[in-house]
Amino acid sequence: MSEPSEIRDPRRGRGSHPAERMGIDRRRFLVASGGALGAMVLAACDSMGPRSATSLLKFAERKNETLERALFRHTAMDVPPAGARPAGSHFPSYFISDEVPVWDEAARGAWRLDIGGMVTKPLQLSLADLAALPRTGYKLDHFCVEGWTAVATRTGVRLSDIARLAGVQPGAKYVDFQSFDNDYHESWDIESAMHPQTLVVYAQDGHYLNAAWGAPARIYSPVKLGYKNTKYLTRISFLPARNGGYWSDRGYEWYGGV
Amino acid sequence: MKRHHAVVRITHWVNVIALTIMVASGLRIFNAYPSFARRGETFCCYPFAGKPIPASLTFGGWLAGARNWHFAMMWVLAVNGFVYLAFIYLHGEWRDLVPRRGVVRDVVEMVKFYLTIRKDHPRQGKHNALQRMAYFSMPIVGIIAVVTGIAIWKPVELAPLTNLMGGYVWARYWHFWSMLLLVILTIGHVFMVFTVDPYSIPAMITGRYREDLSPEARNARPFVHLLPRNE
Repeated sequence: MSEPSEIRDPRRGRGSHPAERMGIDRRRFLVASGGALGAMVLAACDSMGPRSATSLLKFAERKNETLERALFRHTAMDVPPAGARPAGSHFPSYFISDEVPVWDEAARGAWRLDIGGMVTKPLQLSLADLAALPRTGYKLDHFCVEGWTAVATRTGVRLSDIARLAGVQPGAKYVDFQSFDNDYHESWDIESAMHPQTLVVYAQDGHYLNAAWGAPARIYSPVKLGYKNTKYLTRISFLPARNGGYWSDRGYEWYGGV
Repeated sequence: MKRHHAVVRITHWVNVIALTIMVASGLRIFNAYPSFARRGETFCCYPFAGKPIPASLTFGGWLAGARNWHFAMMWVLAVNGFVYLAFIYLHGEWRDLVPRRGVVRDVVEMVKFYLTIRKDHPRQGKHNALQRMAYFSMPIVGIIAVVTGIAIWKPVELAPLTNLMGGYVWARYWHFWSMLLLVILTIGHVFMVFTVDPYSIPAMITGRYREDLSPEARNARPFVHLLPRNE
């Protein structure tokens, strides 16, 4: 959905300065400084920037995460603008498999959502089990890392309700969402996972999810960027440590908060 | 007497680097979705929807790379801007930048001079009226860029701020416009430095400036009287 559709796209750019045409005694200085600046721009624009900056960027990402987690509130809720039109059939579909992932019941048996890890009572929920749990629905924004947004009504079960049923242990600080879309998964901080708008979604715009939108169930929360919201869910694991993620391991920020 | 205090000189050049990287990485991020409309809607006010910015103007290599640069460099830009503004406020340089009484008349006179309608350079202090307006608006647009940037970074956690700008879609639009204005101001500034007052470049590096070579002393307009008057 909002997950990035591109992996790498190194590009070159060049800068130039009009220092060459200066007929003054400071000409040399100007040419030199213009040249130096141009070289800087050239070096900087070369694909992804200097390799040595990687650790600095990582440092900034960690500090940003600290700030974002400090800002995070369960009371901060997403409310799309009143006039915002639901995307409906314009809602993008996204998956990493070659074809739309469809749960193969013949080969893998009936679909079940595993709730495991640091829980006192591991659960195996069928779609009917999910539908029988207290239902929560919101009209929500979807914030894609690419910059677009889309509005849809999401219906499902609050993850915090499921966590209560399963009895999450106090040491569980992270949650991993595993899918059957190849190895796609993303792990979250538990605070975001327990946000009241974090739902195990089985219906969108009043209909059960179709295969393009992540059937039978997906995680969805407006407090996370699209790529953090795993579709084609198979397992939710409560963990003592973070477990990376498909895009988080490929350079996108792990926190991905909104 | 230095023309620019060391704090101003350092923050100026830090800003050159930070702003360049912010703009170029921002354009790379923009290219991942070079439109403003919410999915399933149309957007009134951007005629180039769907057309990416030329890759040569972007930085970061790919979306994640550009985002990582953008979210790191934003601190350099914001802190550097804050240091600059706090300094000129405490040290008094703001007096050279805020519009004076009669600024409209002064601007008109400068424009007349540049259009050769007026022959002699209007009298000025440290900066002419056009410079004053440019250097005064730059930090204001910069602040708008930072605030709209925060609004699209945290549209849920800081929803009241985002809503103040008309929601995420509009906040993103204003963020784009503030970038565009900063780029236009910068291009104008660099053009004028090289075509009217190249002697101000050393002043922004070492702080030293020869008043006898000022544009007013040379009666200089773009490309005219670049050389000192009596040489």
